[in-house]
Amino acid sequence: MAVENRTSIAELPISSARYIGKSVNRVEDPSLVTGRTEFIDNVSLPGMVHCAMLRSPYAHAHIKSIDTSAAEKLPGVLGVLTGDEVAAVTIPIPTFPEQWGTHCMAVGKVRYVGQIVAAVAATSRYVAEDAAELINVEYEPLPAVMDPLSAMEPGSPLIYEEKGTNIIFKRLFQWGEADAAFREADHVFTEKFRWHRLGANPMETFGVISQWDPVERTLTCRGSYQAPSQYAMSIGMVLQIPSNRVRLISHPHGGSFGGKGGGPGSMVTSLLSRKIGGRPVKWIEDRMEYLSGGGGHAWDRHYEGSLAVKKDGTVTGFKVKLIDDIGCSAENFAAVGAAKPLAAFTGCYTIPAAAYDLTIVATNKVPSSAYRGMGPPPHNWVLEQLMDIAARGIGTDPAEIRRKNFIPPDKFPYTIPSGNEYDSGNYEAALNKVLQMSEYQKLRQEQAAARKQGRCLGIGVVSTIEPGVFDWNAYAMMGLPMTGVPEGVTVGIDMFGKITARVGFSLEGQGQYTIATQLLADYFGVQLEDVRVVYQDTLSAPPHFGPGGSRLGVALTGAVLGAADRLREKLLKVAAGLMQTDPANMELMDGMVRIKGVPGAEMHFAQVAATMLARSDLLPPGMDPYPEATYVWTAPGRTQADEQGRAKSYLTAANACHVVLVEVDCETGKVEILKYFIADDCGTRLNPATVEGMIQGGVAQGVGAALLEEYVYDNDGQLLTSTFMDYLIPTINEVPATEKAALVTPSPFTPLGAKGTGEGAIHTTPAAIMCAINDALAPLGLRATEVPASPNRLWKVMQEKKS
Amino acid sequence: MAATRHIHLTVNGTLYGADVEPRLTLADLLRGLGLNGTHLGCEHGVCGACTVLLNGLSIRSCLMLAVQADGAQLMTVEGLSPDGTLHPIQEAFVEQRGLQCGFCTPGFLMSIYELLRQSPNPTDGEIKDALGGNLCRCTGYQSILSSVRAAAVKLQAAGGTR
Amino acid sequence: MKPPRFDYVDPKTVGEAVGLLKQHESEAKLLAGGQSLMPLLNMRLARPGVLIDLGKVTALDYIREANAPSTGLRTGPSTGLRTGMLAIGAMTTKRTVEDSALIKSRQPLLHAATLLVGHAQIRNRGTVGGSMAQADPAAEYPAIAVALDATLQVAGPNGERTIKASDFFVSYLTTALDSTEMVTEVHFPLLGNSTGWSIAEVTRRHGDFAMTGVALTVTLESGGHCSGTRIVLFGVGATPVRATAAEQVVNGQKPTDKLFEQAAGKVNADITEPLSDVHASAEYRRHLAQVLTRRALAEAVARAGGKGAN
Repeated sequence: MAVENRTSIAELPISSARYIGKSVNRVEDPSLVTGRTEFIDNVSLPGMVHCAMLRSPYAHAHIKSIDTSAAEKLPGVLGVLTGDEVAAVTIPIPTFPEQWGTHCMAVGKVRYVGQIVAAVAATSRYVAEDAAELINVEYEPLPAVMDPLSAMEPGSPLIYEEKGTNIIFKRLFQWGEADAAFREADHVFTEKFRWHRLGANPMETFGVISQWDPVERTLTCRGSYQAPSQYAMSIGMVLQIPSNRVRLISHPHGGSFGGKGGGPGSMVTSLLSRKIGGRPVKWIEDRMEYLSGGGGHAWDRHYEGSLAVKKDGTVTGFKVKLIDDIGCSAENFAAVGAAKPLAAFTGCYTIPAAAYDLTIVATNKVPSSAYRGMGPPPHNWVLEQLMDIAARGIGTDPAEIRRKNFIPPDKFPYTIPSGNEYDSGNYEAALNKVLQMSEYQKLRQEQAAARKQGRCLGIGVVSTIEPGVFDWNAYAMMGLPMTGVPEGVTVGIDMFGKITARVGFSLEGQGQYTIATQLLADYFGVQLEDVRVVYQDTLSAPPHFGPGGSRLGVALTGAVLGAADRLREKLLKVAAGLMQTDPANMELMDGMVRIKGVPGAEMHFAQVAATMLARSDLLPPGMDPYPEATYVWTAPGRTQADEQGRAKSYLTAANACHVVLVEVDCETGKVEILKYFIADDCGTRLNPATVEGMIQGGVAQGVGAALLEEYVYDNDGQLLTSTFMDYLIPTINEVPATEKAALVTPSPFTPLGAKGTGEGAIHTTPAAIMCAINDALAPLGLRATEVPASPNRLWKVMQEKKS
Repeated sequence: MAATRHIHLTVNGTLYGADVEPRLTLADLLRGLGLNGTHLGCEHGVCGACTVLLNGLSIRSCLMLAVQADGAQLMTVEGLSPDGTLHPIQEAFVEQRGLQCGFCTPGFLMSIYELLRQSPNPTDGEIKDALGGNLCRCTGYQSILSSVRAAAVKLQAAGGTR
Repeated sequence: MKPPRFDYVDPKTVGEAVGLLKQHESEAKLLAGGQSLMPLLNMRLARPGVLIDLGKVTALDYIREANAPSTGLRTGPSTGLRTGMLAIGAMTTKRTVEDSALIKSRQPLLHAATLLVGHAQIRNRGTVGGSMAQADPAAEYPAIAVALDATLQVAGPNGERTIKASDFFVSYLTTALDSTEMVTEVHFPLLGNSTGWSIAEVTRRHGDFAMTGVALTVTLESGGHCSGTRIVLFGVGATPVRATAAEQVVNGQKPTDKLFEQAAGKVNADITEPLSDVHASAEYRRHLAQVLTRRALAEAVARAGGKGAN
């Protein structure tokens, strides 16, 4: 037997798991809490110099000339790079969909405020910034295209003249008989919604040290990369360096949430390094650069949504029209964020028919990036608000309209109209749990009593799907027609019984090294400290993707167990030879390799490994003698997308049900979150404390999305929120503590039954808060439809009613 | 006027001397001395990742010039565990999962060190007041709150802040 | 984001500092706590030729009550401190103000305003003089200086002068200081027993600058009516705004909810050029000014010992 298909922890070769499934302390933490972890800005290399970028002050302009002479003369400056040089030696950055972008530096034209126009290498960042200021650029401003609705109009100025349009993608998807459902419905509820631009903002921005070796003609980039092998590929392609001459070394990084590592920084610094003879060039993106030109923009959306509902509350159809403004290029996977909602388009509900009228538009804003959730958070926010609007419309409780429409637990695996398959779920159980936890009826009483005193309390009850374990086919319509995202791990044992796992991704905050450690410690019956997880660069590591799309917990588990199983096979074969029996009679249990049913006929696995390493004469002929094995896991059962985008894309469907109580100060429009309850079902929890951390972190980002975070551009394309004074990240005072309950409906498809959970509550919290706000405003005949629901915005909603 | 100034400062009990340009920030000086635990998250005084103690008070080292710290006593995160043994506050963070990516953590630890020295048994309100100037993007703060409570208990059992 | 080059001087006395200001005039900028200036330097929005660091002018770090013996404090400028006043040296940090038992008990409006300023790390460095000189329209200190009828002591090459807070804040980020002058001391009155106070603001997040705020004091006379009302709005104009029309509604009247509402209805008369930004429109700020004034009046009256409502 080679690689097993286990769906529960009980099937591991240990009598009782001591680590996996438990909230084991993270192995990453001692180094992190002492400040010793090597984030990229800690690294200094011999001969290293520093890069500063000169960025465009215009949203849209021709570059007439660039004079770098004064900059080049400044003492301490080694070299200056401009767009013409870049165009001569690179190809435009690949985009999704293709050919909607430009080079890694502006060439001839700038398309957003903040776009890189030139780069300086100097002896310090201070001097590099001094030099950048001495570069003289002559611009011819063009009209800025800041609004996607007018960008779509014929006659609009064009971001890319050669395209003839600013519309990147336009398609109507239809699944089932949506038009008929709407015609035959007893009620149709329609609303427009606006979700404003926001994004990842990890506490550490992007950083890179690039070094070109002019003799070997190789490139090494050290940096904070979320998906190292992907970025290695795109860097090599853009810089036209053969793929096996590019090496990316990813450092532990201070969060990512989707976008870290893409973007032009690696390419620009690599070109600078080559220009100045191969010295390492370090660039640390500062926060203003991140906010106005980095990977921190996402989900700038204009929605119109409709539900077709029968009078008994059954939802028979769901239509969404989305105009998605992804800024001036499709280079950062933002378009795939508009496609991902297909993976859970109809949410937790048995809605049989749906339609998606999707238009993706270019404007003179920062190219949007991936952000945690990758598209469904705004989509869920629309669907859940419509469910509440429908509930109010037919006079039923929001919890009950959801209950009525839930996919029943015995219908899984369940294929939704947009094509994805949900693995398992019990949505009603989660709803019941959270209603019980929150004492829902008492909350309603509390709300009624408050209303009598003139206070506006609101309750939100929402239930969402959090898709997990992404595959490329979710992005097929955006130019990524592949299937099979890999994650490979090599597991090796030494003669002392120590275990080493080699992986291709570095730390980002989700505690994945701990998961691998827990798994191997239980698999081989050793202590946690006997296992080490070691990072390997893109030329050394097994094929990998790394974190993303809530995949790594599951994928890593599959890879680790697969490698361990292959290694076990070797151990059993060797031990069988030593004990003169057939390998089929052998098993591994609690670290001992033994003949099944024969007490005492056993060896410790370390002894077997020692034999393999030192006694080749005792090994069965023809076998690979090394106590090490590699396994590359990918999700089983993936399909190619059809012409309506339908595919088995996300392997797992986690479910969360939130109940939140808010108070809206009707005089000031300020929202206070009073109570927050969560029932979360992500299948088997490999490390429950880690899962809770993913949930609570998602809650915080959800609060930011619902109430605080927004990138604001003026009509000339200037970003008005270019510092943390204006882009508002929630603090400890804005994020509520939440009461959490876990349900476990294991996945039948994944190793140990775990589901993807890393993207967490950001899928659900914006919907929960918005529904609660509207529940507070409903008796006043008011409805808010825009996030962030800032005090000013809510006050305006209240004013509109009065007028 | 001279292009650099010679300054002395004591960090975690060790005296350092350095010739610095006046415009060098304190954060960059500390990191240049190899004390890389103090991190830069924004360089405009909002995120708190660069928080260190200056003469016992928590300050944002990105908002100070190195020359202003001439003669000062500083404490950075490295000072919490000089020999690698975790300080009780750090232990509490590990046990309570007060961190995920860890980038903001040193700044939090220094703010918490100051808080618990002043207020060994803080209320939740006092904790939130003290930590409102430290941003975390990963944890959602709930486990940071429980880390501080646990740290307070540990420190009281150990007889006060080291 | 690294600061641009500048020349740096660190005077030890006010005299030296003033001498440097005279020498360099508008080429120079004063560095006090740095919490406002350093972000601007890091972003290269401020580009002084000379930075004058006041950090070593320790003589300006004190809190002194009139007629109280100087308890080992270094003598500051002699300023004719009146009875019932306290003097705070310009380089006193907000943290020192926050920790002062004297201020907590005798000038609670200043204490409360201090707690609203940013976060602990900001208060540990930010100074009283620096805050006044910065004159941020949304800051608490300029507003309470006007509400309390504070005076500022200013030193320049031609000697010292006194400027009333109501004359000190001239326009957006601009004070009555000329380029050779610096604040040395601020005088605040200690509040009497029958004077109530309130400070209230609406912010996006805890500790942020106010979108709109109000600082006010009102005295309850023995007959039960209000007098000496001072209502100062911040965040609504380029400088703190005295809502005199609203004050006139209150003075001479007995406090009632209806009175507070009437007064609040009048605040917009004095808001002539409201601010507007991504967080709050002018319209919204005008609205908040009314809401906060009404709420703050009730709170202040309650503190003065009267009824908050009837």
